[in-house]
Amino acid sequence: MIYLDNSATSFPKPEEVYLFMDHFYRSKGVNPGRSGFDAAIATEEMVASTRKMLTQLFNGTNSNRLTFSYNATDSLNLILNGLLEKDDHVVTTMLEHNSVLRPLYHLALNKTIEVTYVPFDQRGYVHPDDINKAIRKKTKLVVMNHSSNVIGTIQPVAEIGKICREKNVLLVLDASQSAGISPIDIQAMCIDVLIFTGHKCLMGPTGIGGSYVADHVTIRQTRFGGTGVRSAQKTHLEEYPYRLESGTPNILGIAGLNAGIRWINNQGINVLHAREMKLWNKLRMGLQQIEGVTTYCAEDPEDKNAVLSFTISGFNNPVDIGTMLDVDHNIACRIGYQCAPYVHELIGTGKTNGTIRFSIGPFNTEDHIDKAIEAVADIASLKN
Amino acid sequence: MEIDGRTFEVDGDGFLANPGLWDHDIAELFARYDGIGPMNDKHWAVLEVIRRNWEEKGMAPMIRTVCQETGLRLRDIYELFPLGPARGACRVAGLPKPDGCV
Repeated sequence: MIYLDNSATSFPKPEEVYLFMDHFYRSKGVNPGRSGFDAAIATEEMVASTRKMLTQLFNGTNSNRLTFSYNATDSLNLILNGLLEKDDHVVTTMLEHNSVLRPLYHLALNKTIEVTYVPFDQRGYVHPDDINKAIRKKTKLVVMNHSSNVIGTIQPVAEIGKICREKNVLLVLDASQSAGISPIDIQAMCIDVLIFTGHKCLMGPTGIGGSYVADHVTIRQTRFGGTGVRSAQKTHLEEYPYRLESGTPNILGIAGLNAGIRWINNQGINVLHAREMKLWNKLRMGLQQIEGVTTYCAEDPEDKNAVLSFTISGFNNPVDIGTMLDVDHNIACRIGYQCAPYVHELIGTGKTNGTIRFSIGPFNTEDHIDKAIEAVADIASLKN
Repeated sequence: MEIDGRTFEVDGDGFLANPGLWDHDIAELFARYDGIGPMNDKHWAVLEVIRRNWEEKGMAPMIRTVCQETGLRLRDIYELFPLGPARGACRVAGLPKPDGCV
């Protein structure tokens, strides 16, 4: 199988990830922070070191503020429900994934909040000035993604963060598609809350994600339970990381994430990104030469991650193309709206069932890209 | 739905309401109505796999199964049935509109 669905989840993982998960879970896979025996302490140390590595990767200042959850959607729900109150106004963008859109929609449906959706330009970028204009007196926060899961554009977060800081509005950044492949600097970018998932560019397994909450931000608790610490206390602990974590953590997931981050650090984020973008550029140029193929927001490789959306004229539904890529060419990709319906409204694929999306990962090769281009040309020739 | 003077009860998507009524004449009529054809051995091979799966398992076959059993690429099936295996071939084969398989 040629796997070009790395935006959904990276596959395969580095061998080091599989090996460390297996080894750690077999030898020390016990409940951390609950007991004083050696394996429990070793597990607690592994969890703490993973917090530190992630905090360092994002240039945070306090690793206790790095908390784990099931995935980015889980953390977004925790953060948005823990920050927003009645009559708050929220600014978001039309680039967002349903992991942002749906929690906001449900809060708006309950008439708790009001939401403004800022559009992106023809190249796929949100203008900081448009965010600035959308901010009102009652705006509590701006929530947006760092990199689009449909068109791969990396947003000007540092400029937007500066505006938010000046206006005393929080910036919640969804880094699901960028953490591990694009540099993130919480301090320089003025990010108040960073959301990440472990199973994409961070190379961990599914079922692990989290957030980093800056020291000056308070998240209202919405989950309560065991922490392994001060068990006689009736209320849930207020200090981080316990504040946002309850119950036994996903040790296997954190172990995989630990190994994934070490692998990324050894490779170098910039090296990985440059390699993927070289393949992206080859893919982009190849697809754009095929009659009937339209690519979206893919004019150049600047400020992008290796995600490419396209359609082929003559086909009413990208499902047909995705199925042919799978059955005839053994190529795995994502078709449809990719959980980001507003993106498709703006790029013009909202009424034609979305796009076909190829997303490149660290284990893709030039040969994979050549075969993907050949496959698309073969399919396009049916109708063009 | 009326084709060549014959009336067929169909569902909202134009698929035969009673798959048990299907025969080769109906397939020819539906194919002609959909602009498919003239029907050749490859068309019939696809329809045979779909009908056999329906009669044995009560459902449309997986697309891979159709390709494996006919020796055709999916691209070829789209050439034979431009609406594809589900909306094209299954309709001509007299099946209800498939949900997820073909």
